[in-house]
Amino acid sequence: MSTFQPRPGQQEVLRFSGGWMGVTAVPGAGKTRTLAELAARLVARVDDDQEVLVVTLVNSAVDNFKSRINQAVRAGGLLPNFGYRVRTLHGLAHDIVRERPALVGLADDFGIIDEREADRIREDAVATWLRSHPDAADRYLSPGVEGQQAEWVKSDPWPRVARNIAAAFIRRAKDLGLTPEVLSERLKLLAEAAALEGRQGELGLARMGTEIYADYQRSLAYRGAVDFDDLIRLALVTLQLDADYLARLQQRWPYILEDEAQDSSRTQQEILKSLVGSEGHWVRVGDTNQAIYETFTTADPELLRQFLDQPRVRAVQMEQSGRSQQAIIDLANRLVDWACAEHPLAFAQERAFFWQHIAPTAPGDPQPNPPTDLAAVRLVIREQTPEQELQRVVEWVQRWHKAQEARPAEERETCAVLDPRTDRAVRLAALLRERRVPVVELLRSTSSTRQAAGVLGNVLRCLADPVSQRKLATAFRVWRRQDRDDAEAKVLLESVADRIHRCQHLEAYLWPRADQDWLADLAPELETEELGLLTDFRQVARRWHRAAGLPIDQLILTLVSDLFQEPAELALAHKFAVALRDVATSHPAYRLTELVEELAVIARNERRFLGFSSADSGFKPRPGEVTVATMHKSKGLEWDRVYLMSVNNYDFPSGLAHDTYIAERWFVRDNLNLVAEALAQVEALAALDPPPADPVDVDLLSLLPPEGRATQEARWEYIAERLRLLYVGITRARKALTITWNTGRGPRAKLQPAVALVALYEWWRARLEAEGVEGP
Amino acid sequence: MHTDLVSAPYTGNRTMFLSGPAGAGKTTLAVRRLLYLLAEGVPADQILILVPQRTLALPYYEAIHSAQAPPGGLVDVATIGGLARRTLGLFWPLVSEAAGFAWPDHPPRFLTLETTQYHMDRIVERFVAEAAFDGVTISRPRLVSQIIDNLNKAAAVGFGLDEIGARLKSAWGGESSYLRVFDQVQAVALEFRRTCLAENLLDWSLQIEVFQRHLLPRPELRRYLLSGYRHLIVDNVEEDIPASHSLLRTWLPLCESALVILDTQAGYRVFLGADPQGALELAELCRQQIAWSGSHVTSPAVGALGRALAGAFLTDLPPAEDQADPRSALRYHLSRYHPEMLDWVADEVSRLVREEGVAPAEIAILAPFISDALRFSLGERLQDYHIAVRSHRPSRQLREEPAARCLLTLAKLAHPEWRRPPPSADVAQALMQAIADLDPIRARLLTDVVYRVQDGRPALLPSHDIAIPMQERLSYLLGTRYDQLRAWLKEYTPGPGEELDHFFGRLFGELLSQSGFGFHQDPNAGAVAANLIESVTKFRQGLPQWSVAGEGPAPEPSPDRQARLDASLEYIDMVERGVVAAQYISSWQVRPENAVLLVPAYTFLMMNQPVRVQFWLDAGSRAWYERIYQPLTHPYVLRRDWPGDRVWADEDEVRVRDESLGRLILGLSRRCRERIYLAHSELSEQGYEQQGPLLQAVQRMLRHLGPASGGAR
Repeated sequence: MSTFQPRPGQQEVLRFSGGWMGVTAVPGAGKTRTLAELAARLVARVDDDQEVLVVTLVNSAVDNFKSRINQAVRAGGLLPNFGYRVRTLHGLAHDIVRERPALVGLADDFGIIDEREADRIREDAVATWLRSHPDAADRYLSPGVEGQQAEWVKSDPWPRVARNIAAAFIRRAKDLGLTPEVLSERLKLLAEAAALEGRQGELGLARMGTEIYADYQRSLAYRGAVDFDDLIRLALVTLQLDADYLARLQQRWPYILEDEAQDSSRTQQEILKSLVGSEGHWVRVGDTNQAIYETFTTADPELLRQFLDQPRVRAVQMEQSGRSQQAIIDLANRLVDWACAEHPLAFAQERAFFWQHIAPTAPGDPQPNPPTDLAAVRLVIREQTPEQELQRVVEWVQRWHKAQEARPAEERETCAVLDPRTDRAVRLAALLRERRVPVVELLRSTSSTRQAAGVLGNVLRCLADPVSQRKLATAFRVWRRQDRDDAEAKVLLESVADRIHRCQHLEAYLWPRADQDWLADLAPELETEELGLLTDFRQVARRWHRAAGLPIDQLILTLVSDLFQEPAELALAHKFAVALRDVATSHPAYRLTELVEELAVIARNERRFLGFSSADSGFKPRPGEVTVATMHKSKGLEWDRVYLMSVNNYDFPSGLAHDTYIAERWFVRDNLNLVAEALAQVEALAALDPPPADPVDVDLLSLLPPEGRATQEARWEYIAERLRLLYVGITRARKALTITWNTGRGPRAKLQPAVALVALYEWWRARLEAEGVEGP
Repeated sequence: MHTDLVSAPYTGNRTMFLSGPAGAGKTTLAVRRLLYLLAEGVPADQILILVPQRTLALPYYEAIHSAQAPPGGLVDVATIGGLARRTLGLFWPLVSEAAGFAWPDHPPRFLTLETTQYHMDRIVERFVAEAAFDGVTISRPRLVSQIIDNLNKAAAVGFGLDEIGARLKSAWGGESSYLRVFDQVQAVALEFRRTCLAENLLDWSLQIEVFQRHLLPRPELRRYLLSGYRHLIVDNVEEDIPASHSLLRTWLPLCESALVILDTQAGYRVFLGADPQGALELAELCRQQIAWSGSHVTSPAVGALGRALAGAFLTDLPPAEDQADPRSALRYHLSRYHPEMLDWVADEVSRLVREEGVAPAEIAILAPFISDALRFSLGERLQDYHIAVRSHRPSRQLREEPAARCLLTLAKLAHPEWRRPPPSADVAQALMQAIADLDPIRARLLTDVVYRVQDGRPALLPSHDIAIPMQERLSYLLGTRYDQLRAWLKEYTPGPGEELDHFFGRLFGELLSQSGFGFHQDPNAGAVAANLIESVTKFRQGLPQWSVAGEGPAPEPSPDRQARLDASLEYIDMVERGVVAAQYISSWQVRPENAVLLVPAYTFLMMNQPVRVQFWLDAGSRAWYERIYQPLTHPYVLRRDWPGDRVWADEDEVRVRDESLGRLILGLSRRCRERIYLAHSELSEQGYEQQGPLLQAVQRMLRHLGPASGGAR
């Protein structure tokens, strides 16, 4: 077998032989490694026609799992890639639906629209709805918002709010398995009951959500497509509809291993539970303390907690982690202790964390914790404006970078700056670049998918507008993009690109005649290399021009040989060709210009393009470089040194009177969080299952929460989730950690440091004093 | 070789039923029998060769046109559809009224697949506008084609058109709310049929149905067929539809001689209504039954490989006759990405041709589904090795051919009254295609200065309106050619009765094919123009011509200008919506000799041409295993033998998949002489991971026997 030396908690997981097991693992406990090892061991136990099914959260984890399982399987003398299947939930749902699409009314060639396309369709549906309901906002505007201001609100921020409501409403409805038809039937019942009590206006958000949902689904059906949420909903419906098919899948997958189970949604859990059935074996691994997606998705960490509480589930804890030095571990553990016992909000005490301490690894462990260094933890409680905070962190990072450059390459460390919000992180990355600090942004994806799409897009744009010098110069740069890494070649590249840019009549360059030959005229003043490049590029560009009339797939495949060498890039380009061909077929009026736009849209969709590059299958920070990311994006990663910024009471509220909340808009009355209110209404409709035979006899309105309650509950959930986000941020650091905050800007009152930060600061100061260390 | 059968007597109802696996020599025998009959002096026009689809008749065509064939008339080769259409044309007055056509005294108008789709699309559009098909996620073209499929299946099997909805509903095991969709399918089918009857239109289903119900019982038809064709050769009868079998049941007892051939363990056209069981029952009507086994094609190792893999899916395999090692006939390659797989296939084909001396025509590259991108990519790679590729269809749809797009754009420019101004990118492309030596940059410059749209009407300005510096950039010669083109378009006025197809014909003949213009001495462009003209003609013939007159079909097609405009515009609209000219009507590309064959696996089976080496692409794809799912139709539920009271269950699905893949593997391996190459990429063309049952069967075989040569990446 492999050289893996399991720790005690890991050993217990590896002893799993059947039944249901729930594993809670602290950050850095090696859960992926353990789960992969367990999968490899189980592969040896399944029959020829069976597989161990591993379900994970994101694509990048799929490849990681597969290579680890293959490694372990090979060590066991078995064929790789056989006897197991690793899938994201979307991948699994696709497998399930793809095998019996007709069961849920899909054609076998059903498309899956990406999130951007889904956004676009939904935005259209929202805009249509708002046009026919111009006064829908009136009911929700703050009393002071009237006249011109009210008109402005209705034309600008209100449509954005409506889009957020629609997106959340549709997603939740799908997670609850509710179609627009079912929703409207139930809405009718509830509305009749509400009308009797004079409360009919309270269902406005549900009505809006349902009508937009119906329009959205019609648009999808017209395209022969489903969205990602449909895919999951339909997978569950498929399993519920055909017991024989379900039984066949249960037989195929006797063992189901689930990673990141804290991010499971109700539907995901239902799908896996159905597949496990009464005979199957199920291992769920997760860390509810790292559940940070609840606000954006239908993920619900409570589900894992409830699972762990079931009597048939063997609960195992993986508490040892070799990631962080003891001081950082202590800080993370203190955050959990404080939140569970001292947080000002009772809800946060109960629900923010599952009480679990991180323990360091035992002596002799192959992954020992870094040496303890109390001075490497800095909690900055001093007041700073946002700009001051940025400048301060930039200075620290610059200093760190200089120190790294002085070290031998093998001793350099990794570093990250994490902020809760993208715009701040973008600004920080720009400042660091100005100071010539090497930065990697984990913000807007810079994946190979987008790079390849960018390369193709630039060349296609040049073909769509063949008279543009600028576009031809860009296409030239893209064609020779490998020269950018070589200082000398880069100078030549820019010089030639500049000449192309300045060429007034491109036809005289690319399609010369005896009396019009730009290159021949220019040749005497050109260096040999320049002339060579311009001559070569003319050949290439003419070949592209000749291909421009081909169908889009053939055009791309023709360009590919001039633009890409790497197998992954070639595969991506081939995939783009097929995808754009589909677009062109369904939009016959599209020409190159529109198709280039589509290319960008397709490339932005991460999930549809699986594992086309090692760069996509897991980010690895490089020593000497600074990673700039949001705290959300940092999950699953680690750095030697980490800076956490903006830990104030806006990004990390705690339920105190002066806190404000991002989801509550100033122009909405009573601080209502309209998204939360809409979700409460869809939940109320879901609770009408089955609809009562005689609605008159039932108190239907008891299902409808009073206005404002959902807003309050959403605050609590948000407060708890933000504590976990802080915990995730802290536990990314291996050796050194700095936390700062800022006073914020804009119309709201000056912000305060997060209550959690203050609590940690006080505790840390006391500890340092006790140990005689300067700081914090 | 079975000379007794070749030269068996051919008079006095000498009927023979020959069954056996592919490669046993059945078709070879039938071809020799045909040549024998001709040599014996049987008039060629008394012999009919009946096949389920024309590709299966290739060996007969070759024999008829070979040097061995005795001189004389031509032997008739037909499908049931062809026979139906031909005889309906002849006997129309006898059946038109009884069949319910509204204008029995007017001639029938036979629809092509394209024109059928056009008419169906118009009906579907009305239903969709009333919120029909809301619960089904499907693109419009597939919605249309599946309802057509239902009509065709009803006709092929012989059940009433009004039974479609009930049959689909009774087998439905999904959400009950979906059942209304089948009612909508039924309603559209009936509405389509009503329209056909009202307008004398005959789609394929109506041709078969009228033939079966109204023509076949007529003594006139029997006399015509029986006195006409005294000798029958029926090949691949297992792939034919019940309507064809029904005809044979009438015919076999009455003809002078017949040879009926059935491929055992085949029946690949079940999706299209094939009825292997019904075919088998024909044996009882023949005086002599002969069953063959064994193969003259496959090596023992290929046979063993076919059995080993098919054995994973079939339970009724005959026992192996020898103990060859299946691994010696197998080569395989695993790659991560799809293009890497294509690289390997191209390299390996090249190696086979150069180093092993395998003729390209002896190599078939097969996949469950071949996208245009795959066809193009592999074609390009093999072209780099100077190896020709032939496929079952060109890699571009007619409407995507630059020459066709040029003609369509010029048609819009010549007809400003249509108010369909083409986008300027199309105008630039069209000018570049139409004017010899015009490059893309000058074409765009020219378009920018001469193309105008006013009030929805496109117009081209004369070149003398262009500023002098720009004229110099464009050159005098190109400007002159442009003016000629512009003048032709501007002066074009349709003659009496001239339609869009005439416009294309004149544009091509009078201008584009002339020296200085883009189609001059370009046979490909000429062929595309000819195909486009044919497409327009067929489309026009399928249109209701009395929609303007309102008093029934005109005896002679003489529509007024408005109607002509409507028809042309309708055609242009349908092209832009992808309804017409989206088919691969006929190949305008010259088929290269001695070329590697690149086709879907089922198409290969229907070509019935064994090869030395086969490549199976995308071995991990589930498409090898899964049928095409059609939410609005069902190939099995609409079969003759489906009990009307059962729900289609998962076990049915698994059973038919196992059977289909098992039979497919056997069918392919029986058409392979030496070796099968298996190529697999972990990620499919679309980026999805593939681990389908065919790959798993291979892995299981290797796991039990040990690895074959070739190997993993």
